[in-house]
Amino acid sequence: MYYLGIDIGSLSCDAVLIDHSERIIASSVVPTGARNREAIERVTEDVLRSAGISHEDITSIVSTGYGRNRVEKRDSAVTEITCHGRGVMAQKDGIDLLIDIGGQDSKAILFDENGAIKDFAMNDKCAAGTGRFLEAMARVLQVDINEISRLDAGAKGSVTLSSMCTVFAESEVVSLIAEGIEVNEIVRGLNKAIASRTVSMVKRLARNTSELSAAMSGGVARNSGVVRAISEAMGCGIFVPPEPDTIGALGAALIAKEKSKKMSA
Amino acid sequence: MSKKKYIGFTCAYTPLQILDAAGFTPYRILPIGDPPDRAGQILHDNLCPNIKRILDRALDRDVPPLEGMVFVNSCDAMRRLADAWRRIRPRDRVFLIDLPVTTEEHSISFLKDEIARLTGTLGEWSGNEIATDDIEKSIKKYNRLAALITELNEKFSSNNMTCSRKEIQAIFNRAVTEPIDSSIEFISNFITENDKRSNESDAVPVYIFGNVLPDPEIFSFFESCGAKIVSDDLCTGSRMIPPVDISEDNSPFYSMAKSLLMRTPCLRTMDNSKPHRFGEDIVQRAKARKVSGMIGHTVKFCDPYLLRLPAIRETALKEELPILLLEGDCTMRSIGQHRTRIEAFIEMLR
Amino acid sequence: MQQYFENIINGIEKTIREDPAAASPRKKFALEISKLGRDLYAGRRPVAWCGIVAPFEILNAMDITSCFVEFIGAMLSSTGAVATFLEGAEQSGFGTDGCSYHRSVLGAAEKGIMPKPEVLIGTTCPCTGGIAVIENLAKIFNKETFILHIPQDESSENVRFLAGLIKDMVEFVELRTGIKLNRNRFLEAIENSNRMRNILGEVYEMARKVPSPFNGKELNNFGIVMSLFLGTKRGIEIAETYRREFSRRIESGHCGVPGEKIRLMWIQNRVQFKNSIVQMLEKEYNAAIVIDELNSITWQPIDPDDPYTGIARRSLSIPFNGPVTRRIDHLKKLCELYKVDGAINPNNWGCRQGAGSRGLIEEGLKEIGVPVLNLEVDCIDSRNFAEGQIRTRLEAFMEMLENKRS
Repeated sequence: MYYLGIDIGSLSCDAVLIDHSERIIASSVVPTGARNREAIERVTEDVLRSAGISHEDITSIVSTGYGRNRVEKRDSAVTEITCHGRGVMAQKDGIDLLIDIGGQDSKAILFDENGAIKDFAMNDKCAAGTGRFLEAMARVLQVDINEISRLDAGAKGSVTLSSMCTVFAESEVVSLIAEGIEVNEIVRGLNKAIASRTVSMVKRLARNTSELSAAMSGGVARNSGVVRAISEAMGCGIFVPPEPDTIGALGAALIAKEKSKKMSA
Repeated sequence: MSKKKYIGFTCAYTPLQILDAAGFTPYRILPIGDPPDRAGQILHDNLCPNIKRILDRALDRDVPPLEGMVFVNSCDAMRRLADAWRRIRPRDRVFLIDLPVTTEEHSISFLKDEIARLTGTLGEWSGNEIATDDIEKSIKKYNRLAALITELNEKFSSNNMTCSRKEIQAIFNRAVTEPIDSSIEFISNFITENDKRSNESDAVPVYIFGNVLPDPEIFSFFESCGAKIVSDDLCTGSRMIPPVDISEDNSPFYSMAKSLLMRTPCLRTMDNSKPHRFGEDIVQRAKARKVSGMIGHTVKFCDPYLLRLPAIRETALKEELPILLLEGDCTMRSIGQHRTRIEAFIEMLR
Repeated sequence: MQQYFENIINGIEKTIREDPAAASPRKKFALEISKLGRDLYAGRRPVAWCGIVAPFEILNAMDITSCFVEFIGAMLSSTGAVATFLEGAEQSGFGTDGCSYHRSVLGAAEKGIMPKPEVLIGTTCPCTGGIAVIENLAKIFNKETFILHIPQDESSENVRFLAGLIKDMVEFVELRTGIKLNRNRFLEAIENSNRMRNILGEVYEMARKVPSPFNGKELNNFGIVMSLFLGTKRGIEIAETYRREFSRRIESGHCGVPGEKIRLMWIQNRVQFKNSIVQMLEKEYNAAIVIDELNSITWQPIDPDDPYTGIARRSLSIPFNGPVTRRIDHLKKLCELYKVDGAINPNNWGCRQGAGSRGLIEEGLKEIGVPVLNLEVDCIDSRNFAEGQIRTRLEAFMEMLENKRS
C-alpha cells in the first residue's frame, strides 16, 4: 500500500511517496516549467522508478499547490496550506508556526496545541519576499541562486534596503553595486528585507513571536541566510526539516493515506 | 404599461421610497459587467472598484435612459463618484444626499431635512408635487419587499429553500433594478415555488460580510470551494433594502431618516457611544447563525472597512469564530485568485 | 517624545539668543509647533485629538491642548521614524492601501506614543478615513467621541445646524474635562482668531508679489497647521513675524528664489519626509512654489456676538469640503492671484478625498491653461519614494513649462 503526494508549485513540482507505515519511500523535485502536466508525469515516474513499483500499487493520490487541479490521476486535491501543516507536523512535534516561502507566494500557518490549523496568512499579491524575488536579485548580483544563501557570510549588516517591491529593490541593488558596496553586505540587506516582510505577515497571526516554536518549509528554507535573518527578526529558533521543499508533497501523501483509511472505514 | 422612468442610485442608504413615490423606478447601478477600465483616469486608480466600475458603466453607456441620479455622501469615494458623474454626463440631473455618520438624534434630524429636500427636488423632476400619502404608500410597499427578502433569507439560511445562493443573489439584483410591484410579485412567487426542505449537503456553513458583491456567479464559486453562504451582511445582499419603522407620531421623513441611520449599517456609520460596536455586531450576527466561520470580503481601497477590519478580526478571534479576510474588485477574476485561501479556510473549518 | 520637543525648543531658542537676526519666521513657526508638541506630551493639560476642521479657538480658549491626528503622522515622517509605526499598524491588520498619515497614527497609538486624550472630536471633512481613525483611537483610549458632521455646502440651514452642533460639542467637552468655557476667554479667543486671520490675509497677499518674497519652504504646511493656533496669542505672534519679515523683504526688493523664472502652486499637502524636490526646483530651474492650496483665507471674520455661526462658516469653508468643483474654483482663483505657471499635485497613496480627484483637478486647471504634474507618492512613507522616477517627471514638467514661457 503506497500513497503519493504531488505538490505543483509555480517554480517546482514535487512528489513524495510513502508506505502504509508513513515511511518516505521516494521523493523527487523537478522544475515546473511552462507545461505542468509534463512535470507531473516526470515526478510521478521518478518516484515510481526509484521505489520500483507501478501505478497500480498506489492506493491514493492527493495533489496540492497552485496546480493541484491539473493532476488528473488525483483522488482529491487539498490546498498547500493544509498539506504543509500536515507535512511539518510529521517531522517535528510541538510546532506552532510554519513559515512557507515558495516561488511566488509566502504563507504563515498558526497551529493550535493539537496541531490543527488555527489561522493562516498569505502574501500572494506581489513577489516581495518570495523565491522569485530572490531569483531576480541573484540575477542583478550576477550570482547563482544556490550560491546566494552562503553569500552573506561575514557581512556586518550595514545595508538596509528601503524598498521591498521587486522592481524598486532591483534598481536599489543596482545602485548599491554602483556605489561599490560588497556583495555580502547587499545579500545580507536582502535577507533582512525578506525577514522583515515575513515577520510582518507572521505578526498578523501572533504578536509575540519570540516564544513561538517555529519551522520553515519551501525552497527558500534551504537558504540559510534568509532563515537566520528571519530567526533573528522573530527572536526565536527556526526548525528546518531536512527536505524543506517537499514538505507540501509529504503532507499531501499523509493526507492521502488518512483519506483512504476513512473511505475504507 | 407606461415606459419606465428610471432614477439611478449607487448606495444602499438611498431612500428608495421617495423615488418610487415620485413615480420613478429606482435603478441601482451595480458594479457588474466588464466595461473597459477608464474611471481611474477621471478620478484616480486608487479609488474603490465599486465606484470605478459604476463610472465605467456610465462611460460605456451601459445604463438605461435615466431621468436623473441620486447619490449619497456615504464616503469619500461616493462623493467623488458624484463629482465625476457631473463631469462625464453634464446633462444628467444629479442630487447628493448628505448622510451623517452617527446615529444620534441631531443626525436623524439632519437626514430628515435632507430627505425632505430630496422630495422637493424629485417633485420638480417629475413635475408633480409628492404627496405624503404617496410616500406612506411607497414606504409600505418597500416594507413588504424588505419583509419578503428577510423571509427568503431566513428560509434559505434554515435549509428551507430549494434554491442556490446564486439564484437569491440574482433576485437581490433584480429587486434594486426593476419596478417594486413586479419585484414583490416575483419574490413571493419564488418563495412559494421553492418553499421546500433542501437536501443536506456537506458544505461548511459560513457567514459572509463586507460591502459590494453582486455577481451571482461568485456565490457558486464559494460553493465550489466547499462553503455554504448561510447568511450575509453585504450592501448588495440582505442589507440592500432596510424596512422603515413607521410610528404614529412621526412624520414619514423622520421615520425614514431614523430607520436609515438605525438600520444594519455599512461600517461608514458609527455609534458615538460605543466605538467599533457596528463591527462587533457583525460577529454576533454571524454567531447567531451558528456558522463554522466568517468570511469578510471587501472591495479594495475601501476606507470605511480598511480601518475597521482589525477590530472585527479581533472580536471574531475573541469569540473563537474563525475569520478569513479577502479583498478584491468584486469580479469573478479577482475572487478566483483567492481559491486557495478559501479552500484552505474550509479545510481548516472541517 | 516630550524630550524630543524640548530639545528642538532649546535648540531654536539658543540660536535666536545667540543671533537675534536668525529669528526667521520659519524658526518662530517651528518653535511654536514644537511647543505645541511638547504640550501634547507633557500631560499637564487635557488633550483633544481632532479632525482637521475642528473649532480650535474654542478648545484653545478652554486650555485644552488640541491637534488634528494627521499632525502626528507628518511629525513622525519628518523625523524619519515613521516606518516602525507603519509596520506596527500593518501587523495589526490595517491594510497598506489606507492613508499613511492615518496608519502611522494608529501604529503610534498602539505602541503607546500617542498622548492619551480626554476627548476625541472627529470632523467628517475632509475624509472618511479620519472618522475611522477617531473611532479606533476611542477604542484604544477608551474615550468617547464627538463627531462634527460638516455639511456639504454653506446654506443657511447647514450653517445653523453646524453652529448648533459646535455648541453641543462645547457641552460635551465641558462634561468630559470638567473645564468650563469661560465667556471672556472665548471672546478673547475670537478676537485673537480674527486678528490672526487678518494678519495671515496680509501675509498671503504679500506672497502674491512677483517675484515671490519667500522661498518654497517658508510657507510649507503653513495654513493647515496655523489653524491649530486659532484663538491664541502665539498664532498672532507667528503671523506678525511673517508679516514683518515679508514687508521688509518687499521693501528691500528681496527675492525668495533668486532669478525666479517659474511660479508653481502646490496642491494638498507637502511630502513630509526629507526630500530634495523643492531644492531641486529652486536651484536647477529657478522655480518657486509661490502658493500652497491651503494658504488662503476662505472665511469671514467671526462676529463676537454670534461666534458659533462664524466658526461653523469657517469649518465649512475649507476647499476640501463639498463638491470638487468648489475646490477647483478655489485652485483656479489661486492660480490667477499668484500668477501660477504650473501646479504640482502629490497624490498621497491612499487618499480618497484628495488624490481621488486627481483627474478632475487636472482637467479643471487645464481650462485656465495651468498644467498639473501628478506625482504618485506617499507623502509619509519614505520607503516607497523613488527619487529617480520623481526627478525625471519633475524635470520633464519643468522643461515643458520653460518651453511654454519662452
